[in-house]
Amino acid sequence: MQTFSGLVSVLIVFVWLGGNQVSPLRPICDLRVLEHFIREAQDSEVIMRGCRGGCGAMKSYFVPLTSVDFAFWEHIDVHEQAVEVQTGLSLLVQALSTAMKAVSNSRLASALDNNISNIHSLSQILHSLDLQQARSTVLPDDSAPASTQSQEVSSLPELLQVQSSFLRGKVRLLLSAAPACQRQNS
Amino acid sequence: MTKMRSDRLKIVFMLCLAFITIGGQHFESKVAQLLRDETEDIKCFVEVKDLTCFWEEEEERNNLHDQYTFTYSYENKNKMACVVSSLSLLASNKTVFYCKLPKTPFFTPLDVQVFRDGRMLYSRSLNAENFLFLDSPRNLTVMSSEKEGQLNVSWLPPLLKYIDDSMIYEVRYAVEGSNMGKVEVIKVSTMLSLLGLQPDTRYKVWVRVKPDGVAYKGYWSAWTEPVLGVTQPSDMDPLIMLLVLFIGLILCLLSMTVIMSHHKFLLKKLWPDIPTPEHKFPGLFTIYKGDFKEWMSQNNGSMWGRSVHVYTEELPSPLEVLSEVSLTSHGTSQREERQAVEEDEEKESERSDSGLTDRWREPPEAYCLVEQLRALQENPESLSQSLLLQSHDTYVTLNQNSQGDDERQVDDVFEETLPLQMLFTTAGTTSLNTSHSDLSSLQQSLGSGRLSSQSSFEYPNHTWPPKGPGYAYVAVTDSGLGRHRMYTNDYKNEIFLHKWPLSGQHTQSRSESCMGPVW
Repeated sequence: MQTFSGLVSVLIVFVWLGGNQVSPLRPICDLRVLEHFIREAQDSEVIMRGCRGGCGAMKSYFVPLTSVDFAFWEHIDVHEQAVEVQTGLSLLVQALSTAMKAVSNSRLASALDNNISNIHSLSQILHSLDLQQARSTVLPDDSAPASTQSQEVSSLPELLQVQSSFLRGKVRLLLSAAPACQRQNS
Repeated sequence: MTKMRSDRLKIVFMLCLAFITIGGQHFESKVAQLLRDETEDIKCFVEVKDLTCFWEEEEERNNLHDQYTFTYSYENKNKMACVVSSLSLLASNKTVFYCKLPKTPFFTPLDVQVFRDGRMLYSRSLNAENFLFLDSPRNLTVMSSEKEGQLNVSWLPPLLKYIDDSMIYEVRYAVEGSNMGKVEVIKVSTMLSLLGLQPDTRYKVWVRVKPDGVAYKGYWSAWTEPVLGVTQPSDMDPLIMLLVLFIGLILCLLSMTVIMSHHKFLLKKLWPDIPTPEHKFPGLFTIYKGDFKEWMSQNNGSMWGRSVHVYTEELPSPLEVLSEVSLTSHGTSQREERQAVEEDEEKESERSDSGLTDRWREPPEAYCLVEQLRALQENPESLSQSLLLQSHDTYVTLNQNSQGDDERQVDDVFEETLPLQMLFTTAGTTSLNTSHSDLSSLQQSLGSGRLSSQSSFEYPNHTWPPKGPGYAYVAVTDSGLGRHRMYTNDYKNEIFLHKWPLSGQHTQSRSESCMGPVW
């Protein structure tokens, strides 16, 4: 009887510890991963500048807004920031996928494919930070973006520039300011 | 109360002014630097979080109130205007117009345009995050390390949010007074250890910062003010050096003392003397200049005490001492033999190789004795019959075996090793001991080729062995000088024989009574 109660108490302790775990994933706070993605996005821009044929038709893409006003950004809640970032990443994935279909240059196509996989990884990283954003918020292809947090670009070079700016700006600011990472640093 | 308030206000105002001037100094220095380095018409940079774009005043225009219009737009929005200001650079005596954007959008392309009098002067599209112009790092400190040739440098990054972890630093260090400096690049970290420095040297250290180029890009900041640092002196403390020198000196003195006290011994070991026989021949080299004959003539008596053996190729000849032989009878035979002896003598002289025989003259007494001995040899039987031994004279014959002949005789001779002894007695019988000593050849001195040994007269029955001609006899007489000892040296014999004539009266007395032995 006493051993049984002891076992039960031990089990309760384990359940309590297990319950206290916020996220099943460990937060990925190392910004070097994001920096790696940023460099690869910049590599795509370089390839695009050197592309001579089969570089994609002129097409309009809906892309997120990338501008950051530091004063304004600091006043936004982290979760709102997370939502904005996640939405923007979804838009980018869509646009890049569309563009890749129209690109016949193999080198450019592989670069675009790399960028798409990087953005998917970023989504996972944001998920690990547990910012309580909606999961898998990839919008349907034909649906028009409702928010004003998008813009239209008319060429692939612009699209790639937007991607680079977005990653360097909003995504990075969010990751560096994530509470989970702040707790680890302090 | 009001006075205090006004004082406070004044203080605040002064502080603000100071801050602005300092900031202005920073701003002015940045503008000045970009004015030199940047090639674009519109030069833009971001200080803290605001983008500033400036352009140089055209030389043609002197009117300060020119209407410059600065507009900017981004993300397809409407153009926005910015207030243009002017700045006079004291260092270069130039005037620039600049505009600081109130809310600078980052991570998006910015289109800026400058208009003058309605006409567009300059235009440019840029991303603000690529033109960060940071302030210099703060609080640069240089500390001496415990390790030799090492300095620890640390600083604080400029005050700027969001990009603390994307800064890259450059540390420059040089020996004080030298222009040759080295540069170390370090990422993110605000501490650095400089290695491989010279010990006990003063170094100047500078630091500057730049965005790392991944998320943010920009220009190198200005160098900080130099900070001095001194490296640790080398391990060889001067005190230790002095101690080592002192101990070394003491050891040297000790070794010198030891060497000096035993210098003779050491000298002998290291530089041994070449042995010379000088101590055996006193005066030979110093007085007689190596003339051995001269030296011998002066120092013969004292030298015989030292047995100097001269080994020649010839076999040593034994020396036998004959007993005394009385020279009473044998007159006629003596005369007959005298001639024979004379002939023999002549033969001997002919046979001789050296000139010694010329000088050697048998004393008359010896001649008689020789004659008598010869007679004895020819008639050994007669000797055995009647023999009277008289003391006074001792006859010595020497036996020298020629090389290769009569080896048995040699063996007999060599069996005895007793030293030669002669007793001289005035009366009675004499006991003589024959002995064979290590005699060297007397060939040279006596001028004969063959010598034969004779047995002692102690045993009267002993017969004389017949010998051939060519004997050399050395007669030893009692000259009253005491005991004479025969030595084995050639030279000794010669000298001895030379001295024979000095026997003086004794011999002369004998000459008259040269009688043969009574057989």
